[in-house]
Amino acid sequence: MVESSRTASRSRAVIGESQHLLFSVAPGALWIFVFLVLPSLYLMAVAFMTNGPYGLPQMPLTLDSFEQLAGFGFLGWSPGNLYTLLRSLWQTLIATVLVVMVAYPIAYYITTCRVKWRAIMLLLVVVPSWTNQVIRTFGWMNLLAPGTPLSDLAQWLGVIPPNMGLYPSNFAVTLGLVYNFLPFMVLPLYAAFEKLDTAQVQAAQDLYASPMRTFWHAVFPQTLPGLLAGTVLVAIPAFGMYVIPELLGGGKGMMLGNLVANQFAGGSNWPLGAAGAILMLIATFIGLFAMRRIGKRLGGGEEVVI
Amino acid sequence: MKKRTLQRGLSGFWWLTLVFLYLPLAVVVFFSFNAANSAARFTGFSLRWYERLLGNEQIISAFWNSMVLAIVSSVLALVIGCLIGYGMYRHRHRKLGWLIVLIYLPIVLPDIVFGISEMAFFVSIHRYTGLLQPGLLTMIISHVTFQIPFVALIVYSRLVGLDPTLFEAAKDLYATPFKRAWHFLLPTIKPALISAFFLSFTLSIDDFVISFFTSGPESATLPIYIWGAIKKGVTPEINAIAALMIGAVAIAALMSLLFNRQGQR
Amino acid sequence: MSHPTTVAKTADQGETEKSRSNSTRQSSERERREPSSIELKGLHKRFGKDTVALDDVDLTIEAGEFFTLLGPSGCGKTTLLRMLAGLEEPDAGHVCIGGQDVTDIPPHKRSVNTVFQSYALFPHLSVRDNLAFGLRMRGESKTEQRRKVDEVAEFIQLGSLVDRPVDQLSGGQRQRIALARALICEPNVLLLDEPLSALDAGLRGQLQVELQRIQKRLGMTFVFVTHDQAEAMVMSDRIAVLDGGIIQQVGSPSEVYEHPRNAFVARFMGHDNLYAIHASGDDWVDTELGRLRLDPAEQREEQDGWLLIRPETLELNAENLNAENPENYNQLQGKVMERLYRGSHVEYRLEVEGVTMMATASNVGQRLLNVGDKVTVGVCPDDLVRVAS
Repeated sequence: MVESSRTASRSRAVIGESQHLLFSVAPGALWIFVFLVLPSLYLMAVAFMTNGPYGLPQMPLTLDSFEQLAGFGFLGWSPGNLYTLLRSLWQTLIATVLVVMVAYPIAYYITTCRVKWRAIMLLLVVVPSWTNQVIRTFGWMNLLAPGTPLSDLAQWLGVIPPNMGLYPSNFAVTLGLVYNFLPFMVLPLYAAFEKLDTAQVQAAQDLYASPMRTFWHAVFPQTLPGLLAGTVLVAIPAFGMYVIPELLGGGKGMMLGNLVANQFAGGSNWPLGAAGAILMLIATFIGLFAMRRIGKRLGGGEEVVI
Repeated sequence: MKKRTLQRGLSGFWWLTLVFLYLPLAVVVFFSFNAANSAARFTGFSLRWYERLLGNEQIISAFWNSMVLAIVSSVLALVIGCLIGYGMYRHRHRKLGWLIVLIYLPIVLPDIVFGISEMAFFVSIHRYTGLLQPGLLTMIISHVTFQIPFVALIVYSRLVGLDPTLFEAAKDLYATPFKRAWHFLLPTIKPALISAFFLSFTLSIDDFVISFFTSGPESATLPIYIWGAIKKGVTPEINAIAALMIGAVAIAALMSLLFNRQGQR
Repeated sequence: MSHPTTVAKTADQGETEKSRSNSTRQSSERERREPSSIELKGLHKRFGKDTVALDDVDLTIEAGEFFTLLGPSGCGKTTLLRMLAGLEEPDAGHVCIGGQDVTDIPPHKRSVNTVFQSYALFPHLSVRDNLAFGLRMRGESKTEQRRKVDEVAEFIQLGSLVDRPVDQLSGGQRQRIALARALICEPNVLLLDEPLSALDAGLRGQLQVELQRIQKRLGMTFVFVTHDQAEAMVMSDRIAVLDGGIIQQVGSPSEVYEHPRNAFVARFMGHDNLYAIHASGDDWVDTELGRLRLDPAEQREEQDGWLLIRPETLELNAENLNAENPENYNQLQGKVMERLYRGSHVEYRLEVEGVTMMATASNVGQRLLNVGDKVTVGVCPDDLVRVAS
């Protein structure tokens, strides 16, 4: 009957599958490409340009900004930027470890409570992070300022000199980071604890393992994927943190994020800021890659969300 | 016996952590009622900082900027993200690795790099073309960029959870492609769309860094205003705005709790 | 195919039927829809590079027939059904429904409805809205929708289910709603994709009878997909047995059961007693059991392949079997190896001439044989069937 039109009319849909893909995905993909991929590429290009009179990038292409980032200036080499990088790494490490130490027992405790309380407890942990980061940090400024009970206590203990506050300081930054990222660690750990195979724990106890050994061999490995996911969610944004060190850290508490941002906010040196951003990206992707590798090796790769 | 003490220790630790989590917020709310202009000593109860707020035009305009930014960007992100989520679902058997990379990029990029990239981009475009002057428009564009992935992933996961034969049943029951979208697809993913909208809204209200770098002189949002005020020197007015924002979050938390309770019943 | 096919409908008739169905839609006057015949020509479908789902399938389904596509999973039966619904497009070939070529017509424009295996009830709609969905999509008026929903609810005996949310229904109830939702649109053909497979045995049996009854009352063409041969035999007017994307046999249930065309069909219909034929003549065959006489009139297959002996045709230890035609009657010596007591009948696993043979005997007034008993097995030549490989 319609033998001739057989091949031509094979696809009877209003639009073909490929066109459908284009129509549904293209607006968003294009949006992200134009407003994020292109700007990021532009930023990378800026890092290789010369610093102009008002901090704006100019031709010709150079590697000056990377030399400046490494600390070479008019007055020879200075360790300032290197310290900032090391401080960022150190703060990230310390904050992540502290967050794990607080979140691990909390996540476990929530799973031991009655089911109907668990949702409320999780909500209680998460709600503070719904408020704006600036406001949360401002709260800590209020708490740690000179003349507050906490500062008085620290003075009495002799930790800080008289008439000083607990902020600005590196300690305040660490505290702010731990406060900020605690929920991001509790949630994945809670998910891991909730799925915990209690049969393994009972089997270990049954085989006369001590509580310590039971924990180490039956419990800890099962929570490792959650721990890893939490570490990704905490360490990577902590490394690029800007608000907390800016408000709580002062000049001596500066992190890489501040170094980068100040080149733009003050409008002083875009290429230097862009070079700093590249350094931050490299560190971020090394971190992500490492976590993925560890996650895959543990066999729980899908647990690591990113 | 030993288990008992462990449990008790954990319980104590839990309450300590709660104090740690809520103390900074409580301090802000507490001092917002302080009669004196001090964040260290409470001299008496007063509402004068709240009264001052209402008279401060900058704060009022910052509030409206925050609202316009959050609502407009969430609506745009909802439409665009929903399309991507559906496209990812429909074509999930294809290799869409490039799309996954594109979608995760806004999530993994550090805020600060995100913000300065946008800033450098917009400033340069403006310099050469006169378009995209930093302001509310550029903020909306940036916010939509980081909201899209969340909307797309929420919609996608809802669709993946559906029985795929539902789509075929709709076709089988005489629904044209347009009617399928309107009478079947949209009502079915409505819960996902609602939660995606609220998440986008919250992300927008929560954001400071990206807004800060893409804003113009006229487009300060509440967090940007607070930031500026803190930098200039703390005033108790900030306690009052911050307290109001904390109050809004508390109400949202209560509502989500009630919502959850109803869902369980 | 072995079954004589008559294609009653011409293209013209299909046209008039189509226009009539349109007029039914517009006027609220109710008119019994003519059932449609189905004709499939040279259907071919492959998935990916090497999975052939359908291999050059030709099939004619009569109007008003209860037709079953039977086969193991992956045999292509569901693909075939989905092509009738329009949910799958053939790589080559034609699908004609009611004499009209619908190969290129999308599912929402075909007057064909499907009852899905998972029921596919819309979770965001109430039962009533689920039932009315197809009518609403076709743009029928609210009053018409209401009237038809009430009518179908009475017909399928849904009772108070109509006003319940979908998530409060049991499996059996969902199944009825899914059926009602498809029937309410009065399609020319109703397709059923293993609709009973998720139900427990009791409910399943009950719904088998009910489905058959509904089909007879409506006179609608039903195409039913199942992997369960017992279910297929109970319900169908005709059965097509599929394997590897090829139709192995089409015929009435008794035809397919008693005269399977090949070894696959025989095994799929549940037959175990198949014996390779070494040599054969006009009215005899040589197998592992020795030489057996058979009735040439009963044979569909001329070539040597397998000999099928149905367990229920065997006579055990009967003395007066060979009164009429003693030399033609086959007699074998065997021994009982195993006995399965089924209540209404008894199954024996015998060893005959060193090979296993299953036999069933009805449990009426006979002494049960014990394991180890020697038996004489009588095989009537009329009941022996030659089957191709």
